[in-house]
Amino acid sequence: MSMNVYQVAMRNVLRNKRRSILSGVAIMVASMSIVLLFAFIGGMKQDMRNNLTTYYTGDIRIRNAQFEEYERYNPVHLTVNESEIASVLNQFEEVESYVPRIRFPSSFYINSGMQGAVGIGADFEKEADFQQLDLILKEGRLPAEGEYEMLLGAVLARDLGLELGDSVTVMSTTSARGTNAITLKVVGLASFPVASLNTQFFWIDIDTARYFLRMGENETHEMLLRSDGDIDSTASAIHKAVLESTGTEVESKSFSQINDLYSMLSIAENVYYIFTAIFLFLGSTVIINTTMMVIYERMREIGTLAALGMKGKELIRLFFFEGLIISTIASILGVIAGSLISLYLSKVGINFTDAMSGIDMEISSILYPQFAPITAVWIFIYSLAVTAVATFIPSRKASRIEVVEALRYV
Amino acid sequence: MFKINRSIRFTAVALFAILCPISPLFSMSAEQIVQKIDSLETFDTSYSEGTIITTDRYGQKTSTFIAYTRGAYDSLIEFTSVAERGQKILRTSGELFLFYPDANELIRLQGAALRQSLLGSDISYEDMTGEKDTLSDYDAALEGEGSFNGKDCYIISLTAKTRKVAYPRQTLYVDKETFVVLRGEYSTSSGRLLKEIEVISTMEVDGRTIASETQIVDTLKRDSSTRMIIDELNIDIDVDPSVFSLDNLTW
Repeated sequence: MSMNVYQVAMRNVLRNKRRSILSGVAIMVASMSIVLLFAFIGGMKQDMRNNLTTYYTGDIRIRNAQFEEYERYNPVHLTVNESEIASVLNQFEEVESYVPRIRFPSSFYINSGMQGAVGIGADFEKEADFQQLDLILKEGRLPAEGEYEMLLGAVLARDLGLELGDSVTVMSTTSARGTNAITLKVVGLASFPVASLNTQFFWIDIDTARYFLRMGENETHEMLLRSDGDIDSTASAIHKAVLESTGTEVESKSFSQINDLYSMLSIAENVYYIFTAIFLFLGSTVIINTTMMVIYERMREIGTLAALGMKGKELIRLFFFEGLIISTIASILGVIAGSLISLYLSKVGINFTDAMSGIDMEISSILYPQFAPITAVWIFIYSLAVTAVATFIPSRKASRIEVVEALRYV
Repeated sequence: MFKINRSIRFTAVALFAILCPISPLFSMSAEQIVQKIDSLETFDTSYSEGTIITTDRYGQKTSTFIAYTRGAYDSLIEFTSVAERGQKILRTSGELFLFYPDANELIRLQGAALRQSLLGSDISYEDMTGEKDTLSDYDAALEGEGSFNGKDCYIISLTAKTRKVAYPRQTLYVDKETFVVLRGEYSTSSGRLLKEIEVISTMEVDGRTIASETQIVDTLKRDSSTRMIIDELNIDIDVDPSVFSLDNLTW
């Protein structure tokens, strides 16, 4: 009899194709959306991590221990000694490379007015090992060592009406807590993946920055590290090693410890699993509804089957399998459709340039969803589990029907 | 000489009030006292050397300067301390220009930029501008008489007639003998205190009593105060008029 249950279940699914397709579409759309959602979040996380570690924090960032406390007051004078820390970093095999950077809020003096911008003093030789400078350089070249030159964000240049070869006077607070101004020539235009880097930032040679800001020969605001392994532990170990070696307390933190938004994304990912269950259950309500309707529609048939000796458990199995067949096919199709769309979008990207303009987030204007096959498999299993539970609920109804009552429908 | 806003009088010029000839002044009105302060603050020319010591949350910072003034409107300050060496501030015809050795152009400060702090001190560039005639911008009232640091004072309140001034309300404690503004409180129209100055010490120059050390506190900056010390002052000396021209700012 049990073999017959599967066959009967399949026959019943095919008996009313339109109803089966309608039930399946709901599950399919839910599964597909979830695959896309996770690909999108995965892409966003990866993108944010790339941008954070390349332009903002490195895998690990080392700064003056007091910098964070006074950050909002622009503490240009709170620096670390690059050469001292570099000698400590040599002891760490996990550290692949590092770059020193000096970050200084500035004003451009243009047309007798001041325009705010953020300057970055960078060692472009070291930067070449740290980021793909050739990809961000849109026009011109990088500033030369010790020269009064700048690489300007392309959008900022457009907004300020500056072109290659133009000069602009920049004012900033110095490490002596005074002010200084310097005239810099625009030698390169940069196109960064992050909108705010294009609209607010300009880059100059680190030695020029040190001179302009009246900083010492080896002084820098931060050192960004590329590191392997457990970066939280490495950051902590570097902190101790610098303290022991130089007697200087520094702040050494991994990018996830620094950026709240990235940490929130990781937390959000877990929350999305709960949303996924709810989402799938909502999709499954169509199956619940369909199964309930089928049970009432086929009450006479249920009564007959029961009268012929089919037991309650077998009746549950019959309707459960009907739901499960629809769920399985729909989940497979949904996951495949979601995976294909994710794969396509991971190649062409989604352009958020207009939506992201004016938003100061470390996320690229063009986002590439990240398709992970293992995630797709998990979502399929997850979908199947949730829909199976959802199908089981109305199936139990069939077993509770009394034969006499069912036969009244005859 | 270091010169800041006349209207609020915590400039060096404002502090260099001439010792008033002893005379019965008790019957003076608020307007007369303000006019007296204005007239005593004006030198034909002057040369000074001084020090600005700023104490803030990070510690203490010292800058030194030399300054030339001509009348009430023209002044040139050149910083001589290492961190700011060669930087100059020219005030002429009511406008403020900054010269930096590494900049190819002069920076003319105007609008919101004037609110920036001078070398991180409690003095803003805005404090260095202002009109010569205080009474053209303010209504003056004699609030009474009192004493400050053991010296008899007139207590004068000034209320702005116009919105263009930096400090809509001022309360000045004016030394009855010397007409040095011993203490000044500078507030918004609603009475919120923005800045306060106090004369810490005075010196005699050519028979005049001059504030040699003044403390300025910007109440909007936490844990910050600035002391301005005049180390040397020569008044009514020969100063080349070209010193105050834009063309010569870069020498």
